Amino acid sequence: MAMGSVSDTLWDVVICGTGLQQSLLALSLSRSGKNILHIDPNDYYGGAEAAFNLQEAESWVDRLATEDKGFFRSASITKPDVAGLSFPRAYSLALAPQLIHARSELLSQLVSSRAYRQVEFLAVGSFYIFKAPSGPEQQPSLVRIPSTREDVFSTTAISAKAKRGLMKFLKFVLDYDRLEQRDVWKTFAGRPLVDFLQEHFKMDAELKTYIITLTLSLDGKITTEDGLSTIYRHLTSMGHFGPGFAALYPKWGGISEVAQVACRAGAVGGAVYMLGAGIKSMATATDEVELELTSGDMVKTKLLVRGNESVGDGPSISRLVAVVGVLYLTTMATSNSKEVLSRALESFLSAMDHDQVPQCLYQLYYEQAAGVKQSRLDELTIDLPGPSLSLSMDDLLLKHVREAWKKVASDTADDAEYMIFTDREPVDDDDELE
Amino acid sequence: MADTNAPKPSSSVKLVLLGEAAVGKSSLVLRFVNNDFQENKEPTIGAAFLTQKCNLPTRTIKFEIWDTAGQERFASLAPMYYRNAQAALVVYDLTKPTSLIKAKHWVAELQRQASPGIVIALVGNKLDLTSDSAGTAEVSGDGDDNAEDSGDARKISTEEAKTYAEEEGLLFFETSAKTGHNVTEVFTAIANAIPETSLKSARGPGASHAGVSRTEEQRVNLNGPRDSHAKEGCAC
Ligand SMILES: Cc1cc2nc3c(=O)[nH]c(=O)nc-3n(C[C@H](O)[C@H](O)[C@H](O)COP(=O)(O)OP(=O)(O)OC[C@H]3O[C@@H](n4cnc5c(N)ncnc54)[C@H](O)[C@@H]3O)c2cc1C
Ligand SMILES: Nc1nc2c(ncn2[C@@H]2O[C@H](COP(=O)(O)OP(=O)(O)OP(=O)(O)O)[C@@H](O)[C@H]2O)c(=O)[nH]1
Ligand SMILES: [Mg+2]
Repeated sequence: MAMGSVSDTLWDVVICGTGLQQSLLALSLSRSGKNILHIDPNDYYGGAEAAFNLQEAESWVDRLATEDKGFFRSASITKPDVAGLSFPRAYSLALAPQLIHARSELLSQLVSSRAYRQVEFLAVGSFYIFKAPSGPEQQPSLVRIPSTREDVFSTTAISAKAKRGLMKFLKFVLDYDRLEQRDVWKTFAGRPLVDFLQEHFKMDAELKTYIITLTLSLDGKITTEDGLSTIYRHLTSMGHFGPGFAALYPKWGGISEVAQVACRAGAVGGAVYMLGAGIKSMATATDEVELELTSGDMVKTKLLVRGNESVGDGPSISRLVAVVGVLYLTTMATSNSKEVLSRALESFLSAMDHDQVPQCLYQLYYEQAAGVKQSRLDELTIDLPGPSLSLSMDDLLLKHVREAWKKVASDTADDAEYMIFTDREPVDDDDELE
Repeated sequence: MADTNAPKPSSSVKLVLLGEAAVGKSSLVLRFVNNDFQENKEPTIGAAFLTQKCNLPTRTIKFEIWDTAGQERFASLAPMYYRNAQAALVVYDLTKPTSLIKAKHWVAELQRQASPGIVIALVGNKLDLTSDSAGTAEVSGDGDDNAEDSGDARKISTEEAKTYAEEEGLLFFETSAKTGHNVTEVFTAIANAIPETSLKSARGPGASHAGVSRTEEQRVNLNGPRDSHAKEGCAC
């Protein structure tokens, strides 16, 4: 904003990190008139939700090998000796390949803030289960999980009895939160969803697998309460933005796209952006924080917002990003999760096309530790929770962003107007109308 | 049996603007889009996207112009800014030597980050501040120390910038956003330089037979036919 150096301004807020949460905060403040300095120690946007081309992925892996910090570890790249890889910038590997359910509050906020215009979303049609070959002569296959009434009617994958059971369950979930219905599952709330499916709905193993898969729970141990709410989200998202899909995926770079768009909105609103500038040291006075940046600049701010970098106590995950198109495989981190993912990739590829198994051209493997789930606010600093490891956008994060926004903008902002902005430029839809 | 009344095919072209602060990026756009000029234009905040059509004899190009807004100050532009950009305008102020150095930096950055086939135009702006602005086409030499006294504030010779542009394969123009000199010409030259093959047709009558590509089908319009405020509806 100020044309002088960043040291000449007393900033209203310095935001450190350009991961999803910090970027959404920048978006939410983009019309507040606040003086905002948004920095990131990395030389790329997105933090733990970044997306890399192959070259960037390589330097990321190299850096992790020497620096060993943050949530990521055991990163490695494998390049099978096969031809066919395009140029490095033709690929965008997302560190956070999260689906966004159509009913996610994130999408409503992107729409109401008008930031959505610069993101391209792809529809994620169906969820499939890998079925191992049932005999030596058989081939592995991918079976689609029926998750709407029409689907259940038309599927040939399950028996008539199973259909009735599944239908009954889907109907139940649609108003699981009503008072009478709650009594049905209350006693199971903290217990595994599988138990509830088993004991209350008497589901067979296959149906249970379908349902648990729909929850996108990595270890399958999701509780009944969380499981029901996730399936509710899935069912109500179905068809919301068009027929046949419940979730979206930002093309090009997953969640990193959302972070970038949010940061651009911040910049358009006057925030100053500096990549490759982290916090080297900080000193707090009564009503301001002085920061020494790794870029050498000294800056003063009334408030500092950053991500909590500590490793939390939740389980870690392992990820394999395979370039065959771009495939993302995720599982709970264990001593052999790397082999598990490699084998899963092989099985998956052979199920896609038995005759001509697609070739994997490039693999990025890494493990990611869970972050701290809570935010921490004091007079001068806000620590947002660590990044989410969930396979689908977790709306809880949005709550923390909103809290931070309130703290920064409470003097001038109206809570009812949160993330509601008009288009800055007259929108020209004449392509559609001509 | 070509129908001469049929609308010309139209295509959108994403164009990004780069250059040091205050060289006149936004002023060039303002001149091109609104044929207007503001003497003391504020640094760009708040408006960073504009569209303008450019009519060529055989087709219409709709420029989607992405002005820079803050993120370029510390070389912190996001990949989304460059992505799919088919054209770039790299602007310097021909009265300010540092601005050409900055322009060269941006050209290198574009060659590294942007799509391989991007059309780049190097533009020396504020020609009205030089003595040759009126059209007395005398190319001034380097380093005239008394330039401003003699009414010529030029610090970067046409020759120097032109040679550089030729080496890098850039279009080259000297403009004045203030008088409008050469401004439309820049955009027209860019429109002409964009290879036919890299033009994706805008949706519209001209494009209706192109067929819907797979990616187009997958794309989701968040403000689509469905009312996103109808909260309780359900597909089940
Ligand atoms: C987790 C996930 C789930 C998906 N689910 C579905 C689904 O259910 N239904 C559906 O229709 N499509 C889905 N997609 C999108 C689909 O996989 C891609 O559109 C498809 O792979 C693009 O193939 P293409 O060869 O046409 O590539 P192009 O469209 O030609 O793309 C070329 C390059 O663009 C980049 N790219 C394109 N799409 C993606 C992407 N989605 N993620 C990252 N980079 C990309 C890649 O670098 C790719 O090499 C999903 C994608 C992901 C990542
Ligand atoms: N004399 C003269 N002045 C110009 C010309 N173009 C722009 N200016 C002036 O130069 C100043 C900066 O112009 P802008 O268009 O805001 O420059 P910018 O490159 O968009 O600047 P930022 O948005 O800060 O990056 C303004 O005061 C303009 O009036 C020109 O062709 N001739
Ligand atoms: Mg400007």
